[in-house]
Amino acid sequence: MNEDLIIGIDLGTTNSLVGVVDSGFPLILADEEGERLTPSVVTYLKDGSIVTGREALRLKKLEPERTISSVKRFIGRPFDQISTEEKAASDYKIQPASFGIEIPLSEAETTSPIEVSAEILRRLKTVAETALGHGVSRAVVTVPAYFSNSQREATKSAAESVGLTVERVLNEPTAAALAYGLDKLDEQQTVAVYDLGGGTFDLSILQMKKGLFEVISTAGDTQLGGDDLDLVIANAIQRRLKLDDLTTAESSRIRTAAREAKESLSSSDTHLIRLPFFRGNESFETEISQSEVEALMLPVIRRTRSICRRAFAEAQNKGVDSIDHLILVGGSTRIPLVRRSLEEWFEIVPNLSQHPDEAVALGAAIQAGILCGRVREVLLVDVTPLSLGIETFGGLMNVIIPRNSTIPAKAGEMFTNAVTNQKNFAIRVLQGEREMARDNWLLGEIEIPFKPGPKGSARVGVQFKIDQNGILEVLSRNTETGKDHILEIKSSAVDVDDSSVEQMVSESIDHAFDDMNERIWTEARMKSEELLPAVESGLELVGSKLSENELTEIHKASTLVKGILTSDLKDAAALKQANHTLDEATQNLAALLVEAAFE
Amino acid sequence: MTNLFAILGLPESLLLDHSEIEGAWRAATKKAHPDQKRDSESLISADLNRARSVLSSPGELLAHWLELKAGKQESNRSLDPELMDLFATVHAALQKADSVISRNQNSTTALAKALLTKESVEAQLGIQQKMAHIHQFKQSIISIFPEIDEAARSGNFESAQRNLSQLKFLTKWEQQCQARLLSLLEG
Repeated sequence: MNEDLIIGIDLGTTNSLVGVVDSGFPLILADEEGERLTPSVVTYLKDGSIVTGREALRLKKLEPERTISSVKRFIGRPFDQISTEEKAASDYKIQPASFGIEIPLSEAETTSPIEVSAEILRRLKTVAETALGHGVSRAVVTVPAYFSNSQREATKSAAESVGLTVERVLNEPTAAALAYGLDKLDEQQTVAVYDLGGGTFDLSILQMKKGLFEVISTAGDTQLGGDDLDLVIANAIQRRLKLDDLTTAESSRIRTAAREAKESLSSSDTHLIRLPFFRGNESFETEISQSEVEALMLPVIRRTRSICRRAFAEAQNKGVDSIDHLILVGGSTRIPLVRRSLEEWFEIVPNLSQHPDEAVALGAAIQAGILCGRVREVLLVDVTPLSLGIETFGGLMNVIIPRNSTIPAKAGEMFTNAVTNQKNFAIRVLQGEREMARDNWLLGEIEIPFKPGPKGSARVGVQFKIDQNGILEVLSRNTETGKDHILEIKSSAVDVDDSSVEQMVSESIDHAFDDMNERIWTEARMKSEELLPAVESGLELVGSKLSENELTEIHKASTLVKGILTSDLKDAAALKQANHTLDEATQNLAALLVEAAFE
Repeated sequence: MTNLFAILGLPESLLLDHSEIEGAWRAATKKAHPDQKRDSESLISADLNRARSVLSSPGELLAHWLELKAGKQESNRSLDPELMDLFATVHAALQKADSVISRNQNSTTALAKALLTKESVEAQLGIQQKMAHIHQFKQSIISIFPEIDEAARSGNFESAQRNLSQLKFLTKWEQQCQARLLSLLEG
């Protein structure tokens, strides 16, 4: 065991890596097969054994229901925050549990996002120990910059459960900037790191000056990444091949085929999708071109544009007007469409000097090196991605520490008893940018104790502190002794008792079947009612710019929607499908409208 | 009350330049950051961060300075007539933006959102224009900081108090405009 050594871990949605600093240089450690990437996949075999990494990825075909991938999307999130679309997009089931979310493996067995992450971390710890020849017990673990307090805490506890003390929870784009800037310590630069991974997106703007790496602003989406691209391609394949009622195994195969198509089309013009013996003896094949796949991916990639703009706008508020380099990291930045779009949107040629898969892990290793004294003259100063606040009387969010504040950060609030002999006062602690408290993340509740006394006499100072890991601590100060004492933040997810969890589980299942058709019909009808008049107005404005072919398609699709809408059959599935066709047929119309608006 | 100037080792002045504040923060952070000094309290670093943030924002700087010089201030809600006029136009721009934002949020299809783009662009321009006006106003107040400083030397804080309340309003509107602009951009 080397007590002083700290390893750097990139715990990714798709792949994970581990690195260290050796004689001043960061390096990624390889496993016994010489591989540096460990797929973030875990298989729970029926005999109770657990397989992680490449082997688990191979087992996905045999054990689709017992193989868990992309679990990072769910870590540290309460069940009720996960949308229906997200549940549908996941290739394994999730259900509410007393601690947040659990993943059923069979009738009797379950696992959880924290446990799955812990298995991946255990594997990385072993890779490091084997490569280094001694035990390790301390680590820097990276997370998306836009991760909330709860997601950070959950990641930290996964690492701690396998015997790794987390010395720092480091933001991924910041880590990548360290990797980029380590050999440029004498230079002064402003850089933006565009980090599009398997499941998350972040954009961070940093200033590098004399060894100080300072994050100016950050913005992101923790539910946006390569998985979403795979999904839109998979849906298109499914529609084209008219494959309905997919089993878990089947949709997972299509997803894999979609991912292969996406990857192959990053370097070639066409790709043949093959699904041999897909259903019994039935095989399917279809050719898909790069431009077809790009048209499918563009709406997803466009979502990163407004996030970038947000980070740029915030940086501008802090006096940073221009950037010198736009650094790309994350596997999804290999896609030519991403690079082209960025060039077009921001008129800057992206900097491809960093290895898309390895930069974050290298940065984690560097930060680990800083913390254990192996790297000197470099200091990293980050910001908190989300505003921290408390719920006020009217259900509003009162911001206490604004987003993009440099961390560590602190702010104090004074609370007074509102009635005589009030014992305590509960405050709800929130994270997010929305005005209404209920639209933000609820981190938990804290109870402020009051000493007995007349109304207004008991005063307690409460200090909110975000530490260098981006994790919140709340302290109350006893005015008499001057001593601080930590207030426990009771997470709402943890406090739910077992019976109410059971109720949530059964409700989520019952409702799923109960009025499924009715609900889908209502949702689809509302969508149709929005689409039809929009088509009319859109055609009026820019219809003349469309080709005959496109016009015919739109008319055909909207006639179909109208027909189903007015029929007594109330065929929800058909209406949903027809809406979708109309949605697709009007894609170019929508693009033309946006273009016209900027003229 | 904590003297935030003292935390950064700076003189209690309204006339600090941006690079002075940055330089002082940088030097202190390099020593006090928990990464550099494993046993140091991260609260020291948090204090430095707060000091920089307050001293870099004209409104917060003036408020802190005034509190140090003349004690806690009652908030003065009166508005200059000129500012009143600005508020009316800011309010209109915010309302326009809110209407676009809420219609956009209620749209579920790409086409319906696309139809709103034109209005959204107009609303964005409106907000940006207001932000430019607010910025001008703030600059004009900042430009009289030397006079405020001068008057304070002879114990006159009247101008400081009046301008502080104007700055508070301007900052609030600026934040509101910024929030709308970001929502519109997200569209």
